[in-house]
Amino acid sequence: MLRLATLWTAGVPAVAPAFSPGPSRYSSVTEAITLVVLLTEFAMLRAGLSRSQVRLYAFQSFAVSVLAVFVAANNGIGELYAVAILAFVLKVVVVPAILTRLLRDAYVGLVASHRLRVATMVLIAIVVSVLAFIVIKQLPIRSPSLPTATMGIACAVILVSFLLVILRSDVVSQAVGTFSLGNGIDVANFIIAAGLPLILGVVLLFDLLVAAVVFGLLIRAHHGRARTLSTETLEQLRG
Amino acid sequence: MAGIDLTPVQIQVFQVLAIVVLAPLLSGAIEHLEGRLQGRRGPRILQPYYDLAKLFRKETLLPEDAGWVFVAGPLVAFMCYLVVPLLIPVLTAYPLPLGFMGDILGGGFILGLAGFVVALAAAQSGGPYAQLGSSRSMTFGALIEPSMLFITFTVALVTTTDLPYFEAAASRASLGQAVRPAHLLAAVAFFLVVLGDTGRIPVETHASTLEFGMIDEARLLEHSGPLLALLKWGSAMKQMILYTILVNVFVAPWGLAGSRALSAVLLAIPVLMGKAFGVGVVFAVIDNSFSKLRLFKITEFMAGAFLLAALAVVVLYLGSG
Repeated sequence: MLRLATLWTAGVPAVAPAFSPGPSRYSSVTEAITLVVLLTEFAMLRAGLSRSQVRLYAFQSFAVSVLAVFVAANNGIGELYAVAILAFVLKVVVVPAILTRLLRDAYVGLVASHRLRVATMVLIAIVVSVLAFIVIKQLPIRSPSLPTATMGIACAVILVSFLLVILRSDVVSQAVGTFSLGNGIDVANFIIAAGLPLILGVVLLFDLLVAAVVFGLLIRAHHGRARTLSTETLEQLRG
Repeated sequence: MAGIDLTPVQIQVFQVLAIVVLAPLLSGAIEHLEGRLQGRRGPRILQPYYDLAKLFRKETLLPEDAGWVFVAGPLVAFMCYLVVPLLIPVLTAYPLPLGFMGDILGGGFILGLAGFVVALAAAQSGGPYAQLGSSRSMTFGALIEPSMLFITFTVALVTTTDLPYFEAAASRASLGQAVRPAHLLAAVAFFLVVLGDTGRIPVETHASTLEFGMIDEARLLEHSGPLLALLKWGSAMKQMILYTILVNVFVAPWGLAGSRALSAVLLAIPVLMGKAFGVGVVFAVIDNSFSKLRLFKITEFMAGAFLLAALAVVVLYLGSG
C-alpha cells in the first residue's frame, strides 16, 4: 500500500522503456515489401472486376521489381538491377497491356466467378498461409543474414495464387493466378539466390512471356467459342 | 515555467483533460474539413462545443418504456471514456502509474463496456431504429473483436507485454522495429478497426440521416438533452482516444513528453492534436473517396482487418518477422 502511494505521488522515474533495435533495417524492409506482394495476392482473390485483377497483378509485379532493386542495392549485385528492369518492363507494362487488350476486345468487365463468399475465401487463404509458414519453418534454412519470414511469405504467395486459380472460375483469374505464382517464386529467388546468373533470370522472365501468349490465345479461343470468360461452361469433359 | 516538474498524478489529470477538452475540437475540425472537401463551407470548428452547451441547457425527455438503464447508459459510457486515457500514452513517452492498471485488451474492454451500455440504453428505449442500431453495433462489434485480439497478440509478441507504452517504445527503438512487417500489419489492422469503430466509410456514413443505413448513430436517436450531450461528447472522446492509440502507439509515437517538465507536457498537447488531426484528414479523404459498403458486405471489411492482424501474428510467431 505504501509502495502504491509512493508510485502515485512521485516515485516513478520518467524513463521510457528501452528496447533492442530488433531486426535489421534490411530484414524489415525486405519482409515489408514481400508482405505487400502477399497482400496484393489476397486483394486479387477478392477483386470483382477482371481489369482490377490485372491492375493488382501489375502492382504486385512492381513491388517485386522494387524488392529486386532493394536487394541489389544492399548486396551490391549489379545483375539484379538488369533483372529488375526486365521484370518491370515485362510484368508491369507488357503482360498487363496484353491482358487489358484482350479484356477490351472481350467487352466483359464484371465476372461473378467467386466460388465461395469473399470472407470464407479470405479465411481459407489465411489457413493456407499459416500452412506455408509451418512448412517453411521445418526446412533447414537458417542464416543470420537471411530475412527469415520472407521465405514463408513467398511460399504463402504461391499457395494463395493456387487458391486464386481454384476458387475463381474465370479465365482471367486463372491467368493472373498463374502469373502471380511466378512472382512468388521470384521473391524466393531474390532472397535465397540473389546472385543467380543473369541468363537464368532472363529465362524465367521469358517463360512468363510465353505463358502470357499462351493464356492470351486460350482466353481469345474460349471467349470466341463460349462468348464468356467464365470457365463454368467448360464441362464437356465431365464424366 | 520550464523548471516546474509535474507529479504523475498531475500528468494523468492532464492526459484525461486533454482528451475531454480537445475531443469536440478535433471533431469540429474534421467536420469542417469534410465540408470543405465536399465543396461546402462546413460547420464552424467550435460548433461541437456550441452543440454540447445547447444540449446541456435543454430538458431531458424520456421515452415511455425507458427506465434507469436508459438514464445510466450515457453516464457509465462517459465514465468509461474518462478511464481509458489513464491507460494509454496520451502525452508522455514514459509509463505513468495508472498506465499499469490495464493493457491494450483492458482498454478495449472498457471501450467495449461503453458501447455495451449505450446499446443497452438504446434497446430499453423501445424505439425501433435505436434498437436496430443497438443490435447492429453489437453484431459488428463482435466481428471486430477477433482483429483486436490478434492485434493485442502481436503487441505481446513484439514487446513481451501488452502495455501500449511498451509497443510505442519498441517502435521508437529503431527503424527496423518501426517498419517490421508485424508492426506494420498490426498498425493497418488497427487503422481498419478504428475506421469501423468510429462509424466511418466504408462501414457507416457518420453524417447520414437515413436511419436504415445507421449503425452506431441510430443508438442515440431516442436520447435528448444532457444525456444526448454526454453521448455526443463521449462519441467525440472515443474517436480521439482511438486516434491517440493509433498515432501514439502504432504509427507515430514521437513528439511525446520525455520528462515531467510542465513545458514538455504542455508541448505534447498541440503535437497530439496535430497528429490526431492528421489521422482525421486521412479519414475525411477516405470518407470522400469511397462509397459505403452494403450492410452484409461489412463482414468482408472485418475479414480484411482480421486477415492483417492474423498475418501479423503468423509472421511473428512462425517467421520471426
